[in-house]
Amino acid sequence: MEYVSPEGLRLDGRRPVEMRQLRAEIGVVAKADGSAMFEMGNTKVIAAVYGPREVQNRSQQITDQALVRCEYSMANFSTGDRMRKPKGDRRSTEISLVIRQTMEACILTNLMPRSQIDIFVQVLQADGGTRSACINAATLALADAGIPMHDIVTSCSAGYLNSIPLLDLNYVEDSAGGPDVTVGILPTLDKVTLLQMDAKLPTDTFEDVMQLATEGCKAVANYIREVKTSFFCLIVIWDLCYNYC
Amino acid sequence: MSVEGMVGLSEGEKEFIKGGIAQDLRSDGRKRHTYRPIYVETGVIPQANGSARVRLGATDVIASVKGELGKPSSLQPDKGKVAIFVDCSPTAAPMFEGRGGEDLSAELSGALQRCLLGSKSGAGAGIDLSSLVVVEGKVCWDLYIDGLVVSADGNVLDALGAAIKAALSNTGIPRVNVAAGAANDDQPEVDISDEEFLQFDTSGVPVIVTLTKVGKHYIVDATSEEESQMSSAVSISINRQGHICGMTKRGGLGLDPSVILDMVSVANFVSRQLFDKLDSEISAAEADEDES
Repeated sequence: MEYVSPEGLRLDGRRPVEMRQLRAEIGVVAKADGSAMFEMGNTKVIAAVYGPREVQNRSQQITDQALVRCEYSMANFSTGDRMRKPKGDRRSTEISLVIRQTMEACILTNLMPRSQIDIFVQVLQADGGTRSACINAATLALADAGIPMHDIVTSCSAGYLNSIPLLDLNYVEDSAGGPDVTVGILPTLDKVTLLQMDAKLPTDTFEDVMQLATEGCKAVANYIREVKTSFFCLIVIWDLCYNYC
Repeated sequence: MSVEGMVGLSEGEKEFIKGGIAQDLRSDGRKRHTYRPIYVETGVIPQANGSARVRLGATDVIASVKGELGKPSSLQPDKGKVAIFVDCSPTAAPMFEGRGGEDLSAELSGALQRCLLGSKSGAGAGIDLSSLVVVEGKVCWDLYIDGLVVSADGNVLDALGAAIKAALSNTGIPRVNVAAGAANDDQPEVDISDEEFLQFDTSGVPVIVTLTKVGKHYIVDATSEEESQMSSAVSISINRQGHICGMTKRGGLGLDPSVILDMVSVANFVSRQLFDKLDSEISAAEADEDES
């Protein structure tokens, strides 16, 4: 099947290096300490952060840092065919773990010992790139909750179909069976914090695809910065104080 | 459907809430029978046949309607099938994490089924099930109505009822062409049209009004703080004709039967305003959706 036409247009009319339209909104869940909604094309997710708060399960308490927990769930109506089991399946458990590890790496957990930070991500519409959208939404929700972080985390995916690297795959392109590389970076520190790939790629092509995904992450970071510039001044000040005091 | 244990209130705050309700001036300035501002958006889930998002103060719910072709039950061959499921997202409250939200989800699903779907024989449903049949006895539409509670600040059941009503008015059932000469087949060939849609008739769909009793008075549209002080609550589903389509009583404290009858008449009165508000919001939302 042709995923890129001879004129260089993908199935949804995008160019190979073009991302889908991004849209973010902060404070969508009034009761949460921080929340955000993030859209990448038709993929729509909501993230809510509760914390820092007292640890619910005393046995899990960590004396010198905060406990970060994460749960990823998909709505019944999020996929084309109705899903029977929104949570608890293996994919959800894996993605919950991935998001938790990624966010834990960037939160300054030692500033909040013996406390708990809960990150809940709910997918409303899934059209490829849900992992990335969840990480981006979680970053904004954590910023909205005022939780100190080293840096924001942004994520984007890229693939390789019809011998062309494609940025930000949608569901149809993702299901094509080609490789799917998901990258998460800390844009200011310029470090990679998440890297996942499935299917197979020759090594030099992999470098191109990963570089493309990283560029996508930086584009997301620029967008996020526009959405919440004032918050990041606060976080940078926190980090400076912590590092130099 | 209160999320008790979540709201930490001091004795002073509790007295303030109860006193305010007794004086017809609640914490947010509303009177006892006033709803919070309702915002309706339709078509929020493009993949579904119909969908809507309703915000009632800080309570935020999404309802989606998806149709699949299936076989009617042998007991009711001339009717389609409808199933309602509610899921409480952990974004609404940390206690809904993992399986924590299952109890509340089951309670809400049950209450909605009671209010919107008819009895076991299929009679008296708010939704006209016979409009869902394609070939009698062989092919019918199975509608799956899924509700998702994104944010919970009290009165989730009313919000879900409103969202389902809005989603159903937004629902377009594709026209199905049955292959000719297939009268004797068990599974006739059907062709689902991509272009033609039948709009669902929602004039018979009821709304749900929950009356929460705090002290001696009942309030409409309680916030989660007010729900934590309730002694009991009655949810009544009423349709446009003023008929009661379903009722649920929650809470441990017993109610005098005359109180319940009074609650029903108050619910009837309040539902008039709610119907008007909802209908205008839904048509405004559909107009917005058509423009965009």
